Amino acid sequence: MVYSLPEEVLEHVFSFITLDKDRNAVSLVCKSWYEIERWCRRRIFVGNCYAVSPSIMTRRFPEVRSVELKGKPHFADFNLVPEGWGGFACPWISEMSRAYPWLEEIRLKRMVVTDESLELISTSFKNFKVLVLSSCEGFSTDGLAAIAANCRNLRKLDLRESEVMDLSGHWLSHFPNTCTSLESLNIACLGSEVSFSALERLVGRSPNLKILRLNRAVPLEKLSTLLCRAPQLVELGTGAYSSGIRSDVYSSLSKAFLGCKELKGLSGFWDVDPSYLLAFYSVCSRLTSLNLSYATIRSPDITKVISQCPNLQRLWVLDHVEDSGLNAVALSCKDLRELRVFPSDPYIADANVTLTEQGLVSVSEGCPKLQSVLYFCRQMSNSALITIARNRPNLICFRLCVIEPRAPDYLTLEPLDVGFGAIVEHCKELRRLSLSGLLTDRVFEYIGRHAKRLEMLSIAFAGNSDLGLHHVLSGCDGLRKLEIRDCPFGDKALLANVAKLETMRSLWMSSCAVSYGACKFLSQKMPMLNVEVIDENGSLDSRFDSCPVEKLYIYRTVAGPRSDMPGYIRTIDRDRVNTIS
Amino acid sequence: MDGTLGLLGGIHGGADGGGGGDGGGVPSCGSILTNSKEDDTMNDQDMLAEVSSSYPVDDDLELGLGLRIGGGGSNAIQEGSRILRPNSCSSSSSSSSVNITNSSIAGFKKSAIDSVSPPNAASVVGWPPIRRAHRMPILANRIKSERKEYSSRAKSYLSVKVNMDGTLIGRKVDLNAHNSYETLARTLENMFYGRQTIGRSRLLSGTSEFVLTYEDKDGDCMLVGDVPWQMFVSSVKRLRILRSPKSRNCI
Repeated sequence: MVYSLPEEVLEHVFSFITLDKDRNAVSLVCKSWYEIERWCRRRIFVGNCYAVSPSIMTRRFPEVRSVELKGKPHFADFNLVPEGWGGFACPWISEMSRAYPWLEEIRLKRMVVTDESLELISTSFKNFKVLVLSSCEGFSTDGLAAIAANCRNLRKLDLRESEVMDLSGHWLSHFPNTCTSLESLNIACLGSEVSFSALERLVGRSPNLKILRLNRAVPLEKLSTLLCRAPQLVELGTGAYSSGIRSDVYSSLSKAFLGCKELKGLSGFWDVDPSYLLAFYSVCSRLTSLNLSYATIRSPDITKVISQCPNLQRLWVLDHVEDSGLNAVALSCKDLRELRVFPSDPYIADANVTLTEQGLVSVSEGCPKLQSVLYFCRQMSNSALITIARNRPNLICFRLCVIEPRAPDYLTLEPLDVGFGAIVEHCKELRRLSLSGLLTDRVFEYIGRHAKRLEMLSIAFAGNSDLGLHHVLSGCDGLRKLEIRDCPFGDKALLANVAKLETMRSLWMSSCAVSYGACKFLSQKMPMLNVEVIDENGSLDSRFDSCPVEKLYIYRTVAGPRSDMPGYIRTIDRDRVNTIS
Repeated sequence: MDGTLGLLGGIHGGADGGGGGDGGGVPSCGSILTNSKEDDTMNDQDMLAEVSSSYPVDDDLELGLGLRIGGGGSNAIQEGSRILRPNSCSSSSSSSSVNITNSSIAGFKKSAIDSVSPPNAASVVGWPPIRRAHRMPILANRIKSERKEYSSRAKSYLSVKVNMDGTLIGRKVDLNAHNSYETLARTLENMFYGRQTIGRSRLLSGTSEFVLTYEDKDGDCMLVGDVPWQMFVSSVKRLRILRSPKSRNCI
């Protein structure tokens, strides 16, 4: 007897299943579940926009309300991906405007978006609510004007760290007076001044505004005006944080902050004048998130602020915080989950800043909930890493950058293999790891053996031979993204682990030792992979098989080779492999 | 089932190349499917054997089946192992600052393999890995310190006016070009008398009919030579060469 629930009941049950992983599992159960699930899936995440085509997505999932796409590889953030590589949002937006009239949310990361696309978004979706453009480029303030003018129910406009062609600040005035739905506005990446009166009016008529991140051009004197209009703010990004020494500015600012009873997160702080720092003193005890990574203030001032924030969960700061500041963090911020320490000037040998491995060790000791670390420093030792690993086995994300490439343990002059080995051994839930310093194949042996939950691994200037890469590819069962630069990894490891590549989202290798011939072989062997070779120097057609490729990007896909590549990128066409000598 | 579930399958495709896992390798429109490992029985041994046996040993494909570190095989691998062996790493003492050569920058077009000296942080593209937005404080710092340097350099040229009693036209002398009273006095004598004195300057020794004085920060007229040179330089505003001690106060 076949017992089956009516569709509506199943649909209702499925509505409680939100994780993509679980939804995918549901759709595998049987044909009818697949059908029901695809009609009620509302949220799509595509981690690599070239892994699937827009029409495949719209064909399978006809009733989507929210789409998130990612384009360029992560290393594009560091100028390793050349101009014009791809990640064009246009075909996606065109297809979605045709197929999803009820789309509400679009989130794009590292994609190229044009003003035309923004205009299309603003006119195609009647109930459009959320637009997040993270590290995107290709559009101007004209496109933003279209969004402001046409999206009647816009709730969130978040430009994150996008590169916007700043034509004028008047785009903000395009928000109609009837627009009162704004909940989150992030314009921190914009260079030029927006019309302040338009901003003030917009803030004033948005009672649900919770997140406001201003750009540097908004002067400190005007900040209190905005705060008085929006005392319900939960997260604030200030503009420039200096104003000459003016006591009236200080007092109105502290009064305004006093009125913000819900404020939990602060960021911005460009050009900080330390004398204004404690204007937000009243907020400190409530703060859960503090981003001082643009604030070039020195240690005693930072320490003063941090010690007032016992509820801090996320702290982003420059290395001016120094070990002493981090000791204060370890003492005061017992709820800390995430720490990021950025370098104030990594390009000079002696930075005159005493931030060492000790700071991180202190925080690992003092902050029991610490899960996520991004740390730039100039020296590291195996003993420090082992201590950190033992202190904090609950680490999920550990990204360490010792600034000098291939820098050894500064105490013993040995490689940092054992230290990172301890990290992967003790932190069993580690999902993301970035390596640096002097590293041999041994560290990869440890990683392959212990880092079973690892999903993303970044490697630079490390390893001795293909064995290193082989350990990673064969051992890390959960690996999804692997990015490698300047390592002596060649063909052998890749060719011995071809199947692994299909279980991963992508593999990036630049300045390594993979040969053109190996790429051709891979492409022939694995039709579900796109093997893209990037060579900005010579002609790809005249490559000998033994030549090493400059940059290599391999990703799995059901969409076949892409057609929007610039001349210096080639997807190895498997049909042609046998005819090319 | 296969048609519509083609996306979820993945049984076709690279199966003979080691299709690891049923339905595990194919991206769906959602996120990545969990990799079912039941069929992933091929272990590394088989992988290597499989690769070498189906490997077209072609004259044209120099993929180097016989890849040996330091042996024959492709040149790239050979150089890679040569440069990056542990002893070569330690000998280059990468922790200290290394002289950056243009060749090492060009070498990074291909790989670290080609450069002889290990990369220094300042010469490598995209290193250290900092996003564009976080490079701003670095720039701001640079501008600040450059401004400081510029203004301190500007102070290294310190010229003061010199007037002599009875002479209408004054002169200017750069105090930073001197590091003692003696050289200053000689210069002044040269300027105003047009001749050199042998031995100690007469201006300083008090044997001349003139005496060398200066106006300090407070505006007072002081005799040159009483305080250490550096202190003098930091407080002098102008110099005056006056007639004998019996002369009147400077105005």
